[in-house]
Amino acid sequence: MKIRTDKKNNAAAIHSCGVVVAAIGLILCANGLAADELFKMPADKSPQEIQGKIDVWAWNIAAGSLQKLLPLFNEKYPNIKVNISKTGWQVQSRLLLSLSARVGAPDITQLLVTETQRYTSTGRLMDLTTVAGQYEKDFVPSNWQNCLHNGKVCAIPWDFGPCAIFYKRHIFNRYDIDPNKIETWDDYIKAGKDIFEKSNGKTKMFHLPTGMLYEMFLIVLQQNGGQIFNEQGRVAVNSAISLKVMDLLKRMLESGVTVNDPLYTHAHYASLRGDTVATYPMGAWWGGTTKDYAPETAGDWGVFRLPAMEPGGLRASSSGGSVLVIPDQCKQKEATWAFVEFALCNTKAQIEHYKNFDLFPAWLPAYQDPFFDEPDPFFGGQKVRRLFAQDIEKIPPLYRTKDWPEAQAYLAQSLTGWSSRGMVQPEKMLAELEKKLCRRLNREIAPSSLKFARGD
Amino acid sequence: MIAAGKRSLLSKIWQYRHFYLFISPFFILFAVFGFYPLVFSLYLSFVEWDGLGERKWVGLSNFINMFYDDIFFRSLWNTIVIGIMHIPPMFIGAFLFALILNASWLKFRGLFRAAFFLPCVTPMVVIAIVFGLLYGQDTGFLNYLIAKVGALFPWLHLKPVGWLVSEQWSKPSIAVLLVWRWTGYNMVLMLAGLQGISQEYYEAAKIDGANTFQQMWYITLPLMRPIFVFCGIMSLIGTVFMFDEVFVLTAGGPGISSTNFGLYLFNTSFNDFRFGRASAMAYTVALIVLIFSLVILKFRKSPTE
Amino acid sequence: MLKKQITTGRYKRLFQRLIIYICLAILVVIFIFPFYWLLICAFKTKEQIFTIPPQFLPHPWHLGNFIRVFKETNIIRCFFNSTILAVGYCTLALFLCSLGGYAFAKYTRAPGHSKLFIFVLGTMMIPGAVTLIPVFIVLCKLHMVNTYWAIIIPGAANAFGIFWMRQYIGSNLHSDLIDAARLDGCSEFGVYWRIALPIARPALAALGILFLIGIWNNLMWAFIVLRTEDMYTLPLMIYLLNGELRTPYELIMASGLVATLPLVIAFLLFQKHFIQGIMAGSIKA
Repeated sequence: MKIRTDKKNNAAAIHSCGVVVAAIGLILCANGLAADELFKMPADKSPQEIQGKIDVWAWNIAAGSLQKLLPLFNEKYPNIKVNISKTGWQVQSRLLLSLSARVGAPDITQLLVTETQRYTSTGRLMDLTTVAGQYEKDFVPSNWQNCLHNGKVCAIPWDFGPCAIFYKRHIFNRYDIDPNKIETWDDYIKAGKDIFEKSNGKTKMFHLPTGMLYEMFLIVLQQNGGQIFNEQGRVAVNSAISLKVMDLLKRMLESGVTVNDPLYTHAHYASLRGDTVATYPMGAWWGGTTKDYAPETAGDWGVFRLPAMEPGGLRASSSGGSVLVIPDQCKQKEATWAFVEFALCNTKAQIEHYKNFDLFPAWLPAYQDPFFDEPDPFFGGQKVRRLFAQDIEKIPPLYRTKDWPEAQAYLAQSLTGWSSRGMVQPEKMLAELEKKLCRRLNREIAPSSLKFARGD
Repeated sequence: MIAAGKRSLLSKIWQYRHFYLFISPFFILFAVFGFYPLVFSLYLSFVEWDGLGERKWVGLSNFINMFYDDIFFRSLWNTIVIGIMHIPPMFIGAFLFALILNASWLKFRGLFRAAFFLPCVTPMVVIAIVFGLLYGQDTGFLNYLIAKVGALFPWLHLKPVGWLVSEQWSKPSIAVLLVWRWTGYNMVLMLAGLQGISQEYYEAAKIDGANTFQQMWYITLPLMRPIFVFCGIMSLIGTVFMFDEVFVLTAGGPGISSTNFGLYLFNTSFNDFRFGRASAMAYTVALIVLIFSLVILKFRKSPTE
Repeated sequence: MLKKQITTGRYKRLFQRLIIYICLAILVVIFIFPFYWLLICAFKTKEQIFTIPPQFLPHPWHLGNFIRVFKETNIIRCFFNSTILAVGYCTLALFLCSLGGYAFAKYTRAPGHSKLFIFVLGTMMIPGAVTLIPVFIVLCKLHMVNTYWAIIIPGAANAFGIFWMRQYIGSNLHSDLIDAARLDGCSEFGVYWRIALPIARPALAALGILFLIGIWNNLMWAFIVLRTEDMYTLPLMIYLLNGELRTPYELIMASGLVATLPLVIAFLLFQKHFIQGIMAGSIKA
């Protein structure tokens, strides 16, 4: 008998420990793979003929937006009953367990775009390639990229977070700062210093909490085509671009115009009112948050485009955004896809989402809608929607991989540690982060790494 | 001869078939939910697997990577700190309560016993959320109390405590919850131990003129040793694999300042779905705990035995 | 002279005891306080829960939380699930443990008896944390996830229970009685069912109480294996309410009270059995 030690034999050897166990093992192996059948919408069915009752998970605002869309949807599909539940993050965290147990997932759920690949990589989401592949051209490319798994479409982008700078007009007017002249990040920091000095240290420029440096890091990294992982999923964080971004972070922190309060907390939202903070570099959805938390500031807000790294550089990036996915345990695939298609691949619906809840569409045809050229009174009549849409398809994709949540946590830790050590030796931090990502995520180092450039 | 022996063994087994029948449910369930998982878990510690896709044999790398995992060590460290913070006060408290409740002159014994034991029968989820309210930074009862006391005695310079929001206080907050929850349980165990000590020892000691302190030192404490050891091992295991308390009260935060091993294991398993890494950690720590338990067991024998 | 000494001694002792009583009273207040807080918060609106200074008695008392809990959550179903699981698990576990315990207590001459028993005791050393993932996988493959079985079956025959029942039956059921029953034509199972079980009733009660506490309060396993809302238990439902974006504390407190009361009431009614159960278990374990 030949001795072979490949993994299957090892597994088999262990499975067969004990008679009872072997018997169980057989039962376990017996219920194996379900055949992968490609999903197609039946061409001969009219919308009225599609029936079903579907459950949708979405978070707060998004759930509200879908709810508002229901009457429109039921006009077209009168026989599909949709039940939308608001879910908190703990319910979301249970989704993976439900996927792996093949029971308990809803028919449709919303996911953060950053975490999408964590779920698509399970292979337990419905392959939508046959029905959604035709829409590839209609979505923001960098966003679409995150919805693919091995070339298959497993998620449909919903909202997108094109970044820009939200500023308070009265502060800029008072200190005579021209937002149109801010073209690079250094201009931005300089403007911040001006405001800080002219206000006698009362007004700072923006939030940059040392515990959450990674948010800014990722925005600027993506803007400049940097990566954490390359297209093959290798660790690519140790790059000249990363160094440049860290140098920018250092200049920002050293300028003294940043606020160290953590983001998305009471203090962060409270600063929307008053004079302590002048600007917010955020995704488009921040407009909705502002309207929600500080409605009385209407009209005082303006938006200018994200500063570039160098003059003439790209002035767009992204932060946040979400997708809808259909777990493959979904029983009423036709009704479910009908709803997703109606809610996302449809200009009218996407405009509704944006109009009512500031969910900026990743759906490109929506940008042709006259709504995008309407002035927004909340932003002093500025045509902010058009501004957000500018250059949106030029934003380089960030290859996220299934390990993104973990990678992001390590990135956050490393940057926080770096800043607490006085922001010295960024090369060392990147090299250590690279090592950690490789080790913890069992990945190889990308050939582009500075490690190889320096030859050590 | 051998055949005859075999036959007699078989016939004996047949004679006692009901014995095997009656204990078979345990062995069947153990095979499926105990033995197989144990072996499978060992196998998993040598592979990389997320429970969904392919399993990849990675040899010892799960174990090796564990030594480079600073969160793993932080979680062990947090476990130790939380253990040191709550086990000694809990033990002393439980022992004192048990002594007092064992005193013959005590009235309202049932009331006291019930009050101290009640925390053990309540759902941890509910209690942890109630503690979360009491620990609130701005509106919590404890900080309100601190403010009141601080106003009475300004020289104490009392400041409101960020119980659950600061990295220094998250572990003490959990320790307080644990003391509250488990003192009564240990008290009952120790009470049982105290009641098991024969009165003759004390009477003999009294005749020899031993005072209360001496009786305590030379009789009670040595005879209670097996109970202490039992409580010690239970607390050790409980602290290392503790889950509900941390999961609900702080979810391991802020940062990872209150993540104990049990929570980290759970997160690695069912948040990150790194089954291989989790199995390797579980096996390693279970072995460490086992060794510690055996060391503690060495102290078990009380001197009279 | 002597008399005086005795009286001062008595006063001193009385004084000591008074101090002890006062300390105990303070401690009782501290130990009961979280329950008191749970109780009053269940009758407060969300605003009342967070007022400073805190309201030690809600004014006005507010019953709306309970109405909302019954309307907005699945609490009746969850209560039903919790009850089913508690009853199902306790019944099955008590049956299997007492059966096994009886066998180990009374068939001491069966071949391999002591080795098997040591094996059973040895299984107590396996921490649940090690087998957590594989048990979940086994349950997935057996299609038991999201069913009552997933909670009831895995721990149904546990070594601790068998050990417990063996100790009790071993010392309280005389073999003569069994032999007499056999002579009367009682089957082996009949002996267990008609003679051993009635005698072991106190041990069953104590063990049942321990099982009940464990299963009623269980969160982790419920979190892992119960997937859909109609299967949630009370602790799981409450935990998931806690995860909402804006935590509905008033609802959590009201449903928390509902989840806590049954065991607290049962405990206060059967306090002696509870405590004796634990004590009996601890001495032998």
